[in-house]
Amino acid sequence: MAYSVDRRQLLLGGSALLALGAIHPALAQEQRLRLIFWGSQARADRTYKATDLYTKANAGTTIDGEFLAWADYWPKLATQTAGGNAPDIIQMDYRYIVEYANRNAIAPLDEFVGSTLNVADFDQAQIESGKVNGKYYGVSLGANSSAMMVNKAVFDELKLPLPDAKTTWEDFAKLATEITKAGVRRGYYGASDGAEVEPFFENFLRQRGKALYTADGQIAFDATDVSDWFDMWAKLREAGAVTPPDIQQLDQNNIETSMLTQNKAAISYGHSNQLVGFQALNKDPLAITNYPRHAADSKGGHYRKPSMFFSVSGTSENKEAAARFISYFVNDQEAAKAIGIERGVPESKAVREALAPTLDDLGKAAVNYVANLGDLAGKLPPPPPNAAGEVDLALQRKAEEVAFGQQSVSDAGPAFVAEATEILKRKS
Amino acid sequence: MAVRAGEAAGSLGAEAATTPSLWSRMSERIGPGYLFLTPWLIGLFGLTLGPIIYSFYLSFTQFDLLTSPEWVGLDNYQRILTADPKFMASMRVTFLFVLFSVPLKLAFALAVAMLLNKGISALPMYRAIFYLPSLLGASVAIAILWRTIFSADGLINQLLWTAFGISGPSWISNPNYALWTLVVLSIWQFGSPMIIFLAGLRQIPQDMYEAASLDGASQWRQFWKITLPLLTPVVFFNVIIQTIEAFKSFTPAFIISGGQGGPINSTLFYTLYLYQEAFGFFRMGYASALAWILLAIISAFTAISFLSSRYWVHYDD
Repeated sequence: MAYSVDRRQLLLGGSALLALGAIHPALAQEQRLRLIFWGSQARADRTYKATDLYTKANAGTTIDGEFLAWADYWPKLATQTAGGNAPDIIQMDYRYIVEYANRNAIAPLDEFVGSTLNVADFDQAQIESGKVNGKYYGVSLGANSSAMMVNKAVFDELKLPLPDAKTTWEDFAKLATEITKAGVRRGYYGASDGAEVEPFFENFLRQRGKALYTADGQIAFDATDVSDWFDMWAKLREAGAVTPPDIQQLDQNNIETSMLTQNKAAISYGHSNQLVGFQALNKDPLAITNYPRHAADSKGGHYRKPSMFFSVSGTSENKEAAARFISYFVNDQEAAKAIGIERGVPESKAVREALAPTLDDLGKAAVNYVANLGDLAGKLPPPPPNAAGEVDLALQRKAEEVAFGQQSVSDAGPAFVAEATEILKRKS
Repeated sequence: MAVRAGEAAGSLGAEAATTPSLWSRMSERIGPGYLFLTPWLIGLFGLTLGPIIYSFYLSFTQFDLLTSPEWVGLDNYQRILTADPKFMASMRVTFLFVLFSVPLKLAFALAVAMLLNKGISALPMYRAIFYLPSLLGASVAIAILWRTIFSADGLINQLLWTAFGISGPSWISNPNYALWTLVVLSIWQFGSPMIIFLAGLRQIPQDMYEAASLDGASQWRQFWKITLPLLTPVVFFNVIIQTIEAFKSFTPAFIISGGQGGPINSTLFYTLYLYQEAFGFFRMGYASALAWILLAIISAFTAISFLSSRYWVHYDD
């Protein structure tokens, strides 16, 4: 028998349902915070463990997280910011923090420091690095430094010494050439071709007393530096120490496609906190080490960089709740155990000490690497100018042109300087 | 509707003072029509025309998504047309791609269509197999697959090694070959023009061929004098459609080159350059100007094709 509803019952019932629906939000105390970050699945798993711990400890608050690859992250964040609905907690990078702060896309956190946001035992330099125009915009999530990832198994097999703090460029060239000659695997080379790796180039410049950019956003190197850099790599290519250009092009600048992971070279380049990510994808045991020196007494090319920040969106309605979460993320010891050192060496001294005994060998290696840089490390450079990403791309193109023989080393130097200057001059 | 309105007018016609106005009569006739169209009209204005007009406005501004657009007049266009080496590089790459992929693709499509037209058993099955690549071809999955097949240790090099003992280069990461892998990918998607050619071939009356063979014409002559002229409308259609598609091609170049435009800009398609400018460097105004220039180029090409069609396209009369 069909159940029938007459019009009056339908109207009364429908309006009752609507009324219930209207009351519901008032009854709910739940606060939802949105979080966005870049990274791999490994980072996401760790982050969500930490957010679950926070939700358990703070009933009524939930964190909705979203993550993307680096290249997709920035367009998405910019689009959401333009639309006025950026997530409350934003993972921020040293390269972009100035731009976002100046456009008020992220909020100053000074009002929360000391009360909701506890950064008392942070390294002062790292706090300064998160400041723009004197205001505090980004809470550093960890320190890292650029590094070389080395295939320990291959070095042990060939009984070669691992590169270390004393390794010079000549030593590096010798080791790499020997590995290629030994031919432990098919099509295996000593090192990945690093001519287009911008942090590596920066390290090279800093050891010479130069830098990538000046404090006011101009380039701080000249054509000779560039030609010397390309010349060095050209000689390594000729000696067969590094991967040839068309193999090197398969490397898309991430862990998965690096020459190390693809089993084509024994050395690849990255940042210290990526050791965890690299080892996850490599069967052979890996070691971490610094870039080669020019000479025993060259200036510090490395620097301890804030690997990434958490910032609060400028248009967020829950700034205090967001600040509270960030404080938890960087201070709570249970959360720290979940996050580990995947984002870098934690800033809080208390957290570092609590974490130290729980680290495995790999974690200890990464932490010790950053802590023991010693005279390899110099001062943190100023934040790069807006067009730094484009200059990085131009460096990659130029390096490729030289590698494929489309431009000579001596021409490439002035050409790149001209291109970089023009990019930085462009009003954008 | 019209009848009722007419009746109303007719019954009221006796009292001239209360005749319904032209407007109300018309809106009674066509009003409901537009009402039904409203969902589609909202889409047209809101999702298509609106953004197009906004993009035209943006092309005269500088807009980085984080702050509001700043008017710069013709600066963007001026820079594109006179001072942008990457623009010239991307034009060269795109034109090369179009110039090679479209004729080769259509030639291949026509050849296979003629083979299928000769009468093969299980024709629907072959048609489906050949059509499948053109359905999937522009997808991300196929582009990733293509990249794997043509890379240094990929399938192609393995085949070359085992069959011929040749050690092939890494096709996708060598600036001399990378673009050609994309051309091959485009040719592989010949299925959809092939289906259209097949339909066109079916329409050619068989008695023409019989008459020609009776007169002693060879196969090749028959092709040149009968098939091709009668197919010119279909060829014209395919040329226009495929050229526009080739100019718009994006996904394969993006995936195979990892978003960079390939080794040394050798796969920097125009659309990829546009994407880089917009989403890599946050220059939305500049990218909008690039988009309108692409529209101008495609329109110019289409206009030239239509004007020239008078001379080589024979429509049945």
